[in-house]
Amino acid sequence: MAGSELSQAVEQMAAPAATAQFGNAILRSLIGGLVTALPVLVIGLLVLNFAPTYYTFLALGAFVNLIVVVGLQVFMGNSNIANLGHSAFVGLGAYGVAILSTPLAMKKLSIPNAPFGFATLELDPVSSALIALVVVGIVALVSGKVISRLSGVAATIVSLALLIIVHSVFLNWTDLFKGNQAFFGIPKVVGLPWMLVFAVLAIVAARLFKDSRWGLQLRASAQSPQAAAALGIDAKKLRLMSWVLSALICGLAGVLYAYFAGTISPKLFYFQMIFNTLAMLILGGMATVTGAVTGVIVLSIGLEFIRSIESGVTVADIQMPQLLGLSGVALGVVIVLCMAFRPSGISGRHELDELVSLLFRRNAR
Amino acid sequence: MDYALQQLLNALAFGAEYSLVALGLAVVFSIMGLVNFAHGEIIGVSAYSVFLAAALGLTSPFVAVLLAVGMAALAAVVFERVAFRPVRYAPTTTGLLTAFGVSIVVQNLFMLLISPKPQSVSVLNGLNQMWFFGPFAVSSLQVMELIVSGLTILALVFFLNRSTLGLAIRAASRDFATVRLMGIKANRVIATAFAISGALAGIAAVFILARRGSVSPDLGFGLVLKAFVACVIGGFGSLPGAAVGGMLLGFIEVGLLVALPQEYAGFKDALTYAIIVALLVYRPEGLLGQRIELGDKEI
Repeated sequence: MAGSELSQAVEQMAAPAATAQFGNAILRSLIGGLVTALPVLVIGLLVLNFAPTYYTFLALGAFVNLIVVVGLQVFMGNSNIANLGHSAFVGLGAYGVAILSTPLAMKKLSIPNAPFGFATLELDPVSSALIALVVVGIVALVSGKVISRLSGVAATIVSLALLIIVHSVFLNWTDLFKGNQAFFGIPKVVGLPWMLVFAVLAIVAARLFKDSRWGLQLRASAQSPQAAAALGIDAKKLRLMSWVLSALICGLAGVLYAYFAGTISPKLFYFQMIFNTLAMLILGGMATVTGAVTGVIVLSIGLEFIRSIESGVTVADIQMPQLLGLSGVALGVVIVLCMAFRPSGISGRHELDELVSLLFRRNAR
Repeated sequence: MDYALQQLLNALAFGAEYSLVALGLAVVFSIMGLVNFAHGEIIGVSAYSVFLAAALGLTSPFVAVLLAVGMAALAAVVFERVAFRPVRYAPTTTGLLTAFGVSIVVQNLFMLLISPKPQSVSVLNGLNQMWFFGPFAVSSLQVMELIVSGLTILALVFFLNRSTLGLAIRAASRDFATVRLMGIKANRVIATAFAISGALAGIAAVFILARRGSVSPDLGFGLVLKAFVACVIGGFGSLPGAAVGGMLLGFIEVGLLVALPQEYAGFKDALTYAIIVALLVYRPEGLLGQRIELGDKEI
């Protein structure tokens, strides 16, 4: 496995002139990404056409998680370094658009003392989103400079430190972020159709990065740092690149969340989100984008079921007590069992389209 | 003068607590490469067992201390047996995520089985008094924290340097395969390391309980995050590094507390972490860490 990826990387570097083949590879990866996104699209369209409002709302939340998990996969799956700070970027994206696009009348109520003239600024949703993503990109670039230099474990701890720094700023800079209270009045401009479009885009982008020369080189360097370095792969640069891309996708998820929910608060973007999305990625399998998608679908449905038990169900006329913490236990157990028995997750190391083509080849034989 | 002395003692006491917890993390990491996120829940188990014992009528502080340390050591060994043994030879990331999972499970079990709300524990409040040395008033807890931590670290150094098992642990941190070739059981070395790590966490739990007077499900989580940061500044896996890193963290925190005006006090944690991240830009391998290229451990 390590050998084949490395030799692929060598071939790619040895023959940069083979542009026709290269274009072909991009096309294949693009189609692969779309195939991976297909189940998401089908579920999305079903919910859009048939589901009652409550389920639409749940589906929107699940799609935000999907984009976060795909973003997480871009860094964790390719560099094989655990990232426990990605919800900081989700939060930055969400608060970015909240501060920029909330109508002035609402701002007078919520953040009348905002510094830098933000209290009297109201931008349209699209340019707010773009500016928010630029801010996410800058924070990612600065933090990535540190993280890409560190060895695996230290990088993970610094990603956690980043999460705590960002959360603490949300909580304590009350003039700008409204502190612990909910930030409301964000224009609700995103519905399920837009969410679907962006989810598909995120999946395709993650897949293109994974199959690109950089993705391949980064995966090679995660498997064998010395061998990759000996081939002239600059792992630091590649880690930084995947960190920034991952942060931008997570930031996008935050922007979309703010635009569909209309109300956000700091605790949404803290450890709970990390637990959820990490368990989803691990269950599905972090090596592939398919894994990210699978994990989100399976665990979103599973968690919804557990949450209904958690809030106290009535079985045969007997009211069961509230079981707070049950979903947390389930998430943790999923992570522990996966790591012990199937570290590569449900989907293993093959993408959906690769599995399909493997299947056809076997049948043809 | 009084104020400066008080803040110095504060810094030393915080530093001692971080060092204890960070040492526990480093002992385990140095021999099996496990980043033990569940260390905070070992502190939690210890604190909740004191709470339960008190609820059952065991209110002697002496018993509470023994129980806290014993249960913490036991919990650490049990965690290893149940959750970490299956991933012992797996890559670092796998172990890290497993430990993270264990931490979530145990935290939520506290919530599910006991209560999500903080519970009051008054057994150890007697440790927290004011002592008067001439003109100076100092907190007995801080003095004890400093002395006990110092003695514990001395005992640990003595154990690691003078006993066969301690020697085996130190050797295992360099080359586990060779230690096993010398006829030492891997399970025993690792169980001992976990027991030591747990006992250190138990001692920290005693001080936390005495200071806070309550237990909550996330009791140890925040502290362990700080201890991790201490390990990273000191150099991950280095025992002296963990102790020095913990002390340094204590001094940075108290320094910021003194320096920051009241209205910015909320930013203390953010600034502490920012300072540490900035330190890492200049010394990515930590203060006392050796320069290890990524992946050297996997050979």
